[in-house]
Amino acid sequence: MSKTKINRRNFLKVLGLGGAGAALAGCDMPSTVTLEEGEEKIYSYLAPEEYVIPGVGVWYASTCLQCPAACGTHGRVREGRVLKLEGNPDSAVNAGKLCQMGQAALQAHFNPDRITAPLINGQPASWDDALALINEKASGGNVAWMTGTVSGHQRVLLDAHLAATGKGHHYAVETVNARAWTDAGKTVLGDAMPTLHLDKAKAVLSLGADLLGTWISPVTFMGQYGKFRAAPRGVLIMVEPAMSLTGANADQWVAAKPGTEAAVALGVGHLLMTKHGLSLNGMPNATSAFQSMTPAQVHEIAGVSEAALNKIADTLVSHSPSLVIANASHAAARIAMVLNIMLGNVGKTLTPGASIAADPLAPMMGSSKDLAEFAQNAAAGKIDAVFISGANPAFVAPQGLDMAAALKAVGFKVAIATCHDETTKACDVVLPLSSALEDWGTHVPAYGGKPGVVHLQQPLMEPLHADTRGLGDILLTLGKSAGVDGLDAFEDYYGYLRTAVSAMIGSELEGDWHRVLQAGQFETRAASRAFSAGHDVALGFSETAVSGLHLVTVARQGLYDGRHANSSWLQEAPDQISKAVWDSWAEIHPKTAASLNLKDGDYVRLTTASGAITTRVFIYKGVHPNAVCVPMGRGHTDYGRWANNGVNPLTIVDAHLGDWQSSEIIATASLVKIDAAGENRHLVRLMDTDQQYGRKLVATIPAQQFGRTQGGA
Amino acid sequence: MSSLLGNIFKGWSDYTKGNEEGGHHDYEHMYAMVIDLDMCTGCNACSTACYAENNLATVGEEYFGARQAMHWMRIERYFDEPNVGEAEADTQSRGASFLPMMCQHCNAAPCEPVCPVAATYHTPDGLNAQIYNRCIGSRYCANNCPFRVRYFNFYDHQETAWPAPMEQQLNPDISVRSKGVMEKCTFCIQRTRAARNTAKNEGRAIRDGEIQTACQQTCPTSAILFGDLLDETSAVHQAWKRHQVQLGKYAQNKTNPELRGYRIFEELNVDTKVLYLERVREV
Repeated sequence: MSKTKINRRNFLKVLGLGGAGAALAGCDMPSTVTLEEGEEKIYSYLAPEEYVIPGVGVWYASTCLQCPAACGTHGRVREGRVLKLEGNPDSAVNAGKLCQMGQAALQAHFNPDRITAPLINGQPASWDDALALINEKASGGNVAWMTGTVSGHQRVLLDAHLAATGKGHHYAVETVNARAWTDAGKTVLGDAMPTLHLDKAKAVLSLGADLLGTWISPVTFMGQYGKFRAAPRGVLIMVEPAMSLTGANADQWVAAKPGTEAAVALGVGHLLMTKHGLSLNGMPNATSAFQSMTPAQVHEIAGVSEAALNKIADTLVSHSPSLVIANASHAAARIAMVLNIMLGNVGKTLTPGASIAADPLAPMMGSSKDLAEFAQNAAAGKIDAVFISGANPAFVAPQGLDMAAALKAVGFKVAIATCHDETTKACDVVLPLSSALEDWGTHVPAYGGKPGVVHLQQPLMEPLHADTRGLGDILLTLGKSAGVDGLDAFEDYYGYLRTAVSAMIGSELEGDWHRVLQAGQFETRAASRAFSAGHDVALGFSETAVSGLHLVTVARQGLYDGRHANSSWLQEAPDQISKAVWDSWAEIHPKTAASLNLKDGDYVRLTTASGAITTRVFIYKGVHPNAVCVPMGRGHTDYGRWANNGVNPLTIVDAHLGDWQSSEIIATASLVKIDAAGENRHLVRLMDTDQQYGRKLVATIPAQQFGRTQGGA
Repeated sequence: MSSLLGNIFKGWSDYTKGNEEGGHHDYEHMYAMVIDLDMCTGCNACSTACYAENNLATVGEEYFGARQAMHWMRIERYFDEPNVGEAEADTQSRGASFLPMMCQHCNAAPCEPVCPVAATYHTPDGLNAQIYNRCIGSRYCANNCPFRVRYFNFYDHQETAWPAPMEQQLNPDISVRSKGVMEKCTFCIQRTRAARNTAKNEGRAIRDGEIQTACQQTCPTSAILFGDLLDETSAVHQAWKRHQVQLGKYAQNKTNPELRGYRIFEELNVDTKVLYLERVREV
């Protein structure tokens, strides 16, 4: 892997010339011509630059922005085009690996439906006109920002803009979030983001935290999972209403009624106390909560058998140290934290986290609470203008929030986006954003990185569309017009970032800057945290409705919360569980199907208090009979040529049902009515069978046998 | 014409030799794979990496439904576990079984002798290769493949799969296939070629681990190993040895039958070069 030291600006200039080279070495050239030794010399390259060799790819480090985890990447650049992304082996977050969403960042960049020019009221306009209009309409009053998870110097500039414009608020919106876990960590242990050591745990109990799929930093966790499964092999137990990717890899998958994971966790604690003699010193509240939830009650509330509950408790005790994680609800996450204290995992598999000392750069993690708050404040006329970037509130908001009306109530809306979506359509001004592979930035991973390490995002390619601008550049421009002190010194975001990074690494030398570019990251001072003694918080199980059918909306690694639905690779990548492509489906249990006389591919109408959607059923045993599981991500109406398929279950989630002691919208609380819609059409899937018919395709052996041979290690 | 017939006869002779002598050991390299099914989470990262690396066309819902998708690397998912007995009646209590399935690069590949134009053959690297320019689209090879890992271009997908500017992402190291041509996993032969040239320019042998296939490189749990089976120091060779799986046999005679390595459809005697390690569950 060659990493040539070059002048960055020169590099970009050079890439501009690279178009001529691209025409020479076109994509239809067979590999043998370009790769046979010496053959590359046959090209007469028009203006050969010092390092650009036709036919030879060069790798540049950058950062993945496909989900909030901020993995380090290497992009292969050849003849001025970025061709392939890999994980950056030097990044402690992903250690050289990428998930399929990271691989598909190429399609977000080369997407045929990119916005190429600024729009005012839907009509093409110049940057000058757009910025003038913004200055006029969004310079005073309550100017808000809505983004996804944001960190690094983009956050610094954004905060500065907010401070300069007045009294606005920053709403960070992530439908897929770990808010339950981080809140519980803060409450119980005094640390919102403790470090998990899956690789050291001998058993892991997860209560609805899809750590291999979408939770916090899936590639970090999958890397640890690989070690967890090496001899001596760890045991994974998953409790959830509908099977996630993590559940699909569990040794023991336990179906709980939607929203009852907290009861199961209390039941486990009960058995740990009564059967295994564990106790909690100085935590009388927690102790009494555990004592009052008997296995019989768990069976009644959650539908989890006493045998299954005993097996969980026994495994946690016999496989020490273990680890209990949760994301199902705030209640479940708190109980999980306390279970870790009871099991003696704290300090072994759960240790205090550490992060960057420079607080202004720390990630502002999104939540659905911010989405609801935005809708309320906007509808109440408290927001005069809003900038929206990296969020699609019009798509992810439940109908109950009436986001359309809320957005209408905001006088002036600016979308900063790479592609049109449901939100840009509702905005007055749309600014065309550079893709993540064309932009500069710094990103502080919320989890999994080496403490104090900042990931650098650098362009892997000259902008595809001349009139797009980077987020940092737009923030800089906005900051300057808002009168933020000190920004006038910087001509562009690159200059700003380079100065800022040089200051952080304590060197202005060209060589040190190049080292940062090559590494794709740099180290700055870390601040480690410490756990407080376990806080004896109230533990309980919120008695939301636990009978009847519930709608369970889940995110899958792939389309995620819908932001990747405009990728043809991810649309055609079969869903990990149902193996369906290009359309939505509802997962239901065979018992539910039998009671309604439904068969695979039947269309059903799912009706909640908030609305209705119609989709096909996929029948299997990986959902609780009380759950109807509809993965999110599809059902777009304005998101490019590939996204117009399926249904969006988020619209019919009941938004008023806040989680226990939080305002997060919970994905499992909506009661749903299911009616046959009459039609049947085959759901297109990778495979139409779930059976191996006696062939040895995936052979499974018992763990004892694995133990005897150490897995053949 | 004579060279064509020569190819066909050579293909047939290699095929019989593979059966009789336990693989082709006159190769320079023999690239092979090991996939640990207990580490594989079925996340599909390998498959999408393959789309990016190998210019795989997306075909859309209709053609996908007609079994005309181009996923060289696909993740099959099963819900039964024949070796450890039936799961609980009402719940999928031990999760799902995932199987990454791609061309197994059989040493005695059933696809090779049936090609009327010798478009599919074995390279000196021990790879089962497809010459797109020679392929006439008879589809006999796909018909003869027990793993269903050969993909035929029933249509030209260029316009729909790579609308401008997406064609700029296409990997120039390999071609874009057009209508009427069979395609399949190549074990990322372009990466093998690049490594071979680098090693040759530096006057050394290819190092173990120097060549990573796209699926292996991205695999978040590192479930995939790739390397030269003829290199006795390679991780792949060591793994095959540890698991006591030998080429050229249609039934292994392990001193410890509890070792996890197995090959899919070994009994067909096609001598595949992908070693799978059994999935494990607490039962």
